[in-house]
Amino acid sequence: MSETRPDAHGVPTHPSHGWVQGASTGNGRARETAAAGQPWALADSTPFSSSSHASVPGSRRALCLWLPTFELRLELMRAPELGSTSVALLSPGESVRRTVWQVSERAWDAGVRPDQLVSQAVSLCPSLTLLEPDPAHYDAATDTLLEVLSELTPVLEPAGRGRVFLGMDGLGRLYGSPRRQAERALGSLFRVFPAPLVAATRAGMAPGKFGAWVAAVSAPPGEPVVIPEDALSRFLASRPVASLPVDPLVIQRLERLGVSTLGELRRFPEPALVAQFGEEGRSALAWSTGRRIDPVRPWHRPRPVRVSLDFPTPIGLVETLHGALDRLVERALSRPARRGRSVAAARLGAHLEGGGSWFVEAVLREPTSARDRIAFPLRSKMALTPPPKAVETLLLELTRFGAPSTQTSLFDRRDEAGRGQDGRDLSAGEVPVSLKDAVRDLKLRLGYSPLYRVVEVDPWSRLPERRHALLSFDP
Amino acid sequence: MRPGSDTPRLRLLGQPRLVGVRTNEEGEPLHVRLPGRPARRVAAVREAWRIDDEWWRRPISRDYRAVVLDDGRPVTLYHDLLDGRWYVQTGD
Repeated sequence: MSETRPDAHGVPTHPSHGWVQGASTGNGRARETAAAGQPWALADSTPFSSSSHASVPGSRRALCLWLPTFELRLELMRAPELGSTSVALLSPGESVRRTVWQVSERAWDAGVRPDQLVSQAVSLCPSLTLLEPDPAHYDAATDTLLEVLSELTPVLEPAGRGRVFLGMDGLGRLYGSPRRQAERALGSLFRVFPAPLVAATRAGMAPGKFGAWVAAVSAPPGEPVVIPEDALSRFLASRPVASLPVDPLVIQRLERLGVSTLGELRRFPEPALVAQFGEEGRSALAWSTGRRIDPVRPWHRPRPVRVSLDFPTPIGLVETLHGALDRLVERALSRPARRGRSVAAARLGAHLEGGGSWFVEAVLREPTSARDRIAFPLRSKMALTPPPKAVETLLLELTRFGAPSTQTSLFDRRDEAGRGQDGRDLSAGEVPVSLKDAVRDLKLRLGYSPLYRVVEVDPWSRLPERRHALLSFDP
Repeated sequence: MRPGSDTPRLRLLGQPRLVGVRTNEEGEPLHVRLPGRPARRVAAVREAWRIDDEWWRRPISRDYRAVVLDDGRPVTLYHDLLDGRWYVQTGD
């Protein structure tokens, strides 16, 4: 594998974890927070945003474990006979212009690169074996990895598949010196992964996640690099500017200006960098000197609600899948674990005929408990990137939750599935007699109706103050 | 409907209100003083996003933060990048 080129192996574009087939609720976890939007070429999430949790305590001492081309290695573990051939893993979530996601060392030598079109890759390397991605398998492996590491430290922060930060503050008495701590973390992986995979893992320990990541990138496989507090600045000086978690365009410009290492970057005064690159320049300088330390912050997510549906025969018809999706949403909403919470994000996945898996994810504009509002964005995503093969099992996971519910039931006396509570279905907008009576009584006492109802003005507006309004209610 | 009014009244929800915010050197909110309440520490920033819109008429440029205060209250704030002031939009 071409392990020394971390940026050459795209990290997955999906941050969550944890499909477990057929389970109703699972123990998967994922980042609760959305990263603050720092673009960085190496990761889907941006783990080095000291800004995203302004004052949450974390662990200053960070250990980074990184398994380069994690997904491809997992595939090669399943098909060891491919180990000595040219192999490329296809990007997940694409159906038309398929591109290469990760490549084996032999394929790399033949000129195949991540993000290349499949047609280009095959023309460069006719013997190339293309593998369909199996996100469910990778998620399960990531979950296993996190579970094992959580026995070492409670402060865990995953940052894309194959990369995890561990908070190591206060563990000296338990595990010994920092090097022993790192070795212990590596050793614990042997319990769940085969030796070749663990042997390829890189480990770096330093103050803050950035330092730990840079140390891990520079570490030989299986041999942790430990950077003491007083050596961080010296260590960073020789590292390339491409390590910086700043806009790739800033890095490009720095390189064009002949600034190739962090040590060279430090020679510039801060005002000059700010004048050239704005806030990014200030950040780059703070990272390069080791002044900015981003602690590892414990990662939390409520347990997702999972439901699945096995088809007697594999299904390729979209309409059937849509019907199945509706049933799954209903089942997920009726789970006791979901009650009292609305849904803010959901994930739809499938196990495909002949192996492989597929998934799409939708973050809802507003948390809701309405079946159609949850299913609609998933259907749209499915239309954009349909399952590449017939589906054997459809899985739905409610991953994020919001406040319990809305007040609409006060007005239309329906439950969340739209059924009438008194046995009779109310038509849309119909006001129950009981509410009319209540308003009449209030008007007699006050002279006017003090009730209002929330109406949608421009519900899809990006500006919250334009979405809803209160309208005086006098049926 | 108030006495004497024949037409239904419409009042937009979620109108932004000025709020006192103390930030760190990177401009991230550390303490928030909601209208009529004592200042509270920001315990966590749950989400951050930016809105730039309507440049063709009255430009809007906002840097949003969905934060949780140390008393557990969820609050959505934004920093108006045009007037430099902080506003609270929900959770107040």
